[in-house]
Amino acid sequence: MSHSDALVQELEAKAKVLVNHCLDQFCTFSQGHVGGTMSVLEIITALYFHHLKFDPKNPDWPERDRVVMSKAHCCEAIYAALVELGMYPEETLGTYYCYGSPFQGHADRWCTPGIDFSGGSLGQGLSFAAGLALSEKLKMKYNPPSRQDTFLPRYIVRYNPTYRTYCILGDGELQEGQVWEAAMFAAKFKLDNLIAIVDYNKWSLDGPTNDVMPIEPLVDKWKAFGWSVYEINGHEFHDILVTLDMVANQYGDNRPKVIIAHTVKGRGISHWEALHMHLGRGEEMMKGVREGRAKYGDME
Amino acid sequence: MATWNKHVAIGPPAGVGKGIGKAMKAAFQKDPKALAILEDMQFPEIEWFVDNMFDRMIECGIAEQNAACVAAALASEGFTPVINNFLFAGMGRAYNQIRQSILVDRFNVKFIAREGVWGEVGVSHATVEGWGSLRVLPNLMMINPADAVEAEKAATAMMQYIGPAVIKQEMSPDPLTIFTADYPFDLGKAYSLRDGKDATIIATGYMVTEAVKAVDLLEEDGLDVGVLNVSTLKPIDEEAIVAAAKRTGAIVTAENSSEINGLGDAVACVLCENLPTPLVKVGVEDEFGQSGLITEEKDELMEHFALSAKDVADAVKKCILKREALR
Repeated sequence: MSHSDALVQELEAKAKVLVNHCLDQFCTFSQGHVGGTMSVLEIITALYFHHLKFDPKNPDWPERDRVVMSKAHCCEAIYAALVELGMYPEETLGTYYCYGSPFQGHADRWCTPGIDFSGGSLGQGLSFAAGLALSEKLKMKYNPPSRQDTFLPRYIVRYNPTYRTYCILGDGELQEGQVWEAAMFAAKFKLDNLIAIVDYNKWSLDGPTNDVMPIEPLVDKWKAFGWSVYEINGHEFHDILVTLDMVANQYGDNRPKVIIAHTVKGRGISHWEALHMHLGRGEEMMKGVREGRAKYGDME
Repeated sequence: MATWNKHVAIGPPAGVGKGIGKAMKAAFQKDPKALAILEDMQFPEIEWFVDNMFDRMIECGIAEQNAACVAAALASEGFTPVINNFLFAGMGRAYNQIRQSILVDRFNVKFIAREGVWGEVGVSHATVEGWGSLRVLPNLMMINPADAVEAEKAATAMMQYIGPAVIKQEMSPDPLTIFTADYPFDLGKAYSLRDGKDATIIATGYMVTEAVKAVDLLEEDGLDVGVLNVSTLKPIDEEAIVAAAKRTGAIVTAENSSEINGLGDAVACVLCENLPTPLVKVGVEDEFGQSGLITEEKDELMEHFALSAKDVADAVKKCILKREALR
């Protein structure tokens, strides 16, 4: 199962547009979580522009796939996607961090249609995502679709959840104990409609994630908690798309899934990559923004 | 004997937990979307729930932080999750989860929280500071019923109310039955048990029982003292508090929890802003709880924390002296 080169090229072009949208946001106050935003960008692009069941005209659609951005400080990437999907005008990018803006410093469900989870306090997203996944199961249990609603035999329905829940986790965030409470919970309730994606960019605010507090062996940990584990290069669209499809097709195996995406902090901007920049501020960050503008071109 | 307003009939003690359990049973039968979120701490009327609502019980184990966020997500999908635990565990342990995942988005999650100074469980479980710590959180409705009758009505009202709310199940001896069956409970409204002329005791939860006893003690001294039951700490009924202060000019607050940021402080703020009035607080001073025994003759903890009817009566006398000194 592979995807056409045309699709990959199209997504690569989209990713460049999103980079530009992110640069616009970073410029508002010369500040932004540049490292994690750049490392998760391809994953967000693949989700929003190909994989997700998501209708920008109807963000509250009950059957939409849920996206829980647990590392909500990197919400710039999602804001960029929402703008590119036409949910917000491009000028909104310039109001990032501003009073009254729908683009708050950390993702906020209450004031930003299209956002499913108010994050920022790390470690809570996987629990929330597990709750959404459990809701889907409970609704199916209490209100199964009737035969009139579908021409498919009942057993096929099992392979099509009403919606899937995607949870994007940071690697440093895995140091939170609550993540592993949620991991146990998801395994107990057999949440095979739940897909966690770890943006494993190897760096936290204080230094290398595995020096700050080692999270390895990561694959073994998730396996021991009863999850199916997949490892990918989080910057390769072929890799991302194939794995997302494969994971979706595993629905019905009673196991929650985790995709460990190996990424590079500050990806694509050599200045940020070299500094492993987490929260960029002032001139150090603007240097990267100028590099990005030159590299990805002003798309306007 | 003191006379009481229309919906008050002082009766034998009854457990608040029974009232909450009865209300939960009815609410779960009525609302098919109500879910019991368990944290290995059972649930009111657990046997009935196991027999009748087993598929609506979500057992999350001893992982309160995860349970709070799971409840938030279930509420976001239209369910009405109810979490039952000690306050320190269910809400104190998951304080930030409740703030960030539930209250920010006003998700319809309900809490039953046990707290108070009484019991043999000791300092870890007999917390007194949790209730005050919740008062600073926006969007959270806080209810502390005075007796089993009010507990049932309050829990029912809480389940009908749309938004995050907590009902406190106090760790205390069983309170006296205060209210009649037709007592009209209203969320956010205080209820005057008796109006009085000389002073008003503003009490909440179990301390309403001690206030009622204190009224009789004070009557022997020739004092006519009112009792105002403030069961909803947040939002607080400013109008009723100011009316009481206008009537008597001396206010004593009584609560089975820390004096800091509790009912006493809330009433003090209301009065300072609207009608400065002499006030004396009865509650736990700045300290932790501990184990203690209750026997027929003696309640060690009530004595230690100075929360008995006699302490309330002394506070009333002190407050009246304060008022006279100011005149």
